[in-house]
Amino acid sequence: MKKKKLISLFMAMGMALSLAACGSSSSGAAESAATSAASEAAASSAAESAAESAAPSGEFAGTITLGVIGPMTGTLAVYGTHVSNGVELAVEQINAEGGVVLDGKAYELATDTKDDQGDSTECLNAMNALISDGVELVVGSATSGCTSAITSVANSEGVVLITPSGTADALTTEMDYVFRTCFKDSFQGELAAKYAADNGYTKVGIVYCSADTYSAGLRDAFSASCAELGVEVVAEESVATMTDVDYTNQFNKMVSAGAELVFIPFYYDVTGPYLVPQARQAGFTGVLLGCDGVDNTETTIPEGADLSVYNNFYFINHYAEDLAATDVSAAFVSAYKDKYGEAPNNFDALGYDSVLVYKKAMEAAGSSAAADVQAALADTSVVYEVASGKFSFDETGTPIKSGVLMGYSYNDGDTTVTKSSIQALEVE
Amino acid sequence: MRQNKTAQRYLVNFLAVAILLIASVIISVTGGNTIKLKIVPSVWQCCYLIIMAASLNLVLGFLGQLSLGHCGFMAVGAYAAALISLAFQRSGFYDEKSGAAFILVVLISFIAAGLLAAVLGLLVGIPALRLKGDYLAIITLGFGMIIVNLINNIPFCGQQGLSQGAASSALYANGLGFSNDEKMKYMWLGVLAVILCMTVMFMFVRSKYGRIIRAIRDNEIAASASGINVSFYKVMTFAFSAFFAGVAGALYSCCNSALATTSFAFTNGSILNSVFIVVMVVIGGMGSLTGSVVAAIGMFFLNYTIKNGAWVNALPAFLQGIFTYPMLVYSLALIVVIMFRPRGILGTSEFALCDIPQWPSRIKKHFSRKKEVTEKREEGAANE
Repeated sequence: MKKKKLISLFMAMGMALSLAACGSSSSGAAESAATSAASEAAASSAAESAAESAAPSGEFAGTITLGVIGPMTGTLAVYGTHVSNGVELAVEQINAEGGVVLDGKAYELATDTKDDQGDSTECLNAMNALISDGVELVVGSATSGCTSAITSVANSEGVVLITPSGTADALTTEMDYVFRTCFKDSFQGELAAKYAADNGYTKVGIVYCSADTYSAGLRDAFSASCAELGVEVVAEESVATMTDVDYTNQFNKMVSAGAELVFIPFYYDVTGPYLVPQARQAGFTGVLLGCDGVDNTETTIPEGADLSVYNNFYFINHYAEDLAATDVSAAFVSAYKDKYGEAPNNFDALGYDSVLVYKKAMEAAGSSAAADVQAALADTSVVYEVASGKFSFDETGTPIKSGVLMGYSYNDGDTTVTKSSIQALEVE
Repeated sequence: MRQNKTAQRYLVNFLAVAILLIASVIISVTGGNTIKLKIVPSVWQCCYLIIMAASLNLVLGFLGQLSLGHCGFMAVGAYAAALISLAFQRSGFYDEKSGAAFILVVLISFIAAGLLAAVLGLLVGIPALRLKGDYLAIITLGFGMIIVNLINNIPFCGQQGLSQGAASSALYANGLGFSNDEKMKYMWLGVLAVILCMTVMFMFVRSKYGRIIRAIRDNEIAASASGINVSFYKVMTFAFSAFFAGVAGALYSCCNSALATTSFAFTNGSILNSVFIVVMVVIGGMGSLTGSVVAAIGMFFLNYTIKNGAWVNALPAFLQGIFTYPMLVYSLALIVVIMFRPRGILGTSEFALCDIPQWPSRIKKHFSRKKEVTEKREEGAANE
């Protein structure tokens, strides 16, 4: 009896351990191994570069810790791990180049990464724990929902928060200590409407999800800009959730209303397998225009699908490798590929940018104290040249930057859908 | 004599609770940085988890019905409390989050949150509690999802918070959402709410109603044959439990400056979801309110320290791998408890301070009895 219990307990432990071992080889341990290897490499190369370059002592005068909060596990783990990848890369590069120089002394950057599992309570706990550990500069969180739970704490405790990918408009408006490196939702909506107007579309439709902040916010911005630009919204349909699997009825209505372009503010997990094929099946042949959530759709296209349906399918994005305006982008992309063996996505670039922005602000302020960095960031005249382009902050702490239009295309004979950047978009 | 002893035991427990309340007030007055940023938020989170687990225990442990939508009631309470407090603020009833007017608003929104959740519990309970076992579980599961979707689609609630989504700062600045400083200031409020709720639940369980619902749990047919109106008491307990879930929701909206419906889902990344509340009740012991308290606090600290504690980093590397996936640790904890203590930590008995001196002998007895049983069984097997 007792033996049986012990054996089963050991089996359960074994299972958990093996699962953990499998999992950790892909993320946890690999990450820590990578970071420790990276920090070693960084330390050694930093020592070398310090010996060569002007850094006087050859050693860092101290360490500045950046807090990183994001969903490292759970359903949104892709977002958090990529933000963290971008941050780690930037920290490694900065340390290798001699660290952050404040008052003639070089400081080493370090990170303290916390997992919020995409939950606002956990996010708040992580933020409080970071503040209590004396961290004054935080990058996080990846989603607007989690970020909105910590903006107020950042403000009341006087800790600078840069969200790499929280696009909801209201995140930065009331909070002096909150900044972001991505554009905001209403800006994406404007870009989309401008694209429609510039290309001569007069009748557009919208399929969105009224229950979701991201989707509903984009829809509001898009229809408001359409009204301004003289583009008529002929049909508008909402679905119940962001993970709906049936869009046929909505697109039947788009077709009968005669829409030439349909705006689809959804995420990549539904556009690949459901939304786009069903739209074409319903007889809609016009342009499908999505936003940054649509990026990575190529990863969700089901095996054996008719790839020709993905023609005429475009989306607004934060940056594109080949339309990159700055040298920083090109350097970032190649460094990222060297380190992680894959091409970076939005989250990598935006996480990377957050660290670069912090570095520039700290050096401008000559201090790593939160209040000084906040003052430096609040200076709207400073131009930041980072991986996702050149930008300066507006008075709320949101970058004034441009977007790019990207699209999917498929030619007969190809085996995959090609994702390519088409043009840079700007709002006057 | 016996009467005297009971009174004595109550007195000891009462004193302990009073000391707890006073200690919480002292902590919140003295406050350093660690207390403000780590301990006080933790206490607040424990507060609503305790009420959630204990109130579900009424349905799951004492009434014996499996409900998987308990967080649905919590969501109703949370949004109701947040919106009511916001409405009072907009009407100019209070400006600053202090003074008698604000305390009154907090009380009103707590009670209103509870009542609204209770009404919903009644509405769900009347049709649902005609079903038993798995079917009831499915209905309550569905209810939890319906509530979340309804809130998602009400224009002034929104998915990511109040006032059409992202402007959760509105809730923070004006309504119930407490900042860290206010959490310190009003910690007595959270602790007092827990003490009051637990007291009322204890009184309920020890009353004639408590005996009736335990009779229903043990044998529904026998209970009904003894003249108990089974449906009435089932629905009443369900609504009673929903009331406290609503109050827990109000506490939740106090300690989170943003409300998002994902926090009240059937499952999600954190330890606040309908499944986890069931797990807490099972671990603490179905039919033991104090067991729920112990389990809620235990699970919270396990979760909190895995993510923010330093001891994980002190472990050897191959063990750290598990802790990157907290869910694995919880499932292991559940397996261990179910294997070695199938009735939960406290079983059906309640924790009482006066019993502590008797613990060693009890534990001894527990193990010796087990040995006897196994020996008997082995004998039986040998005889066969």
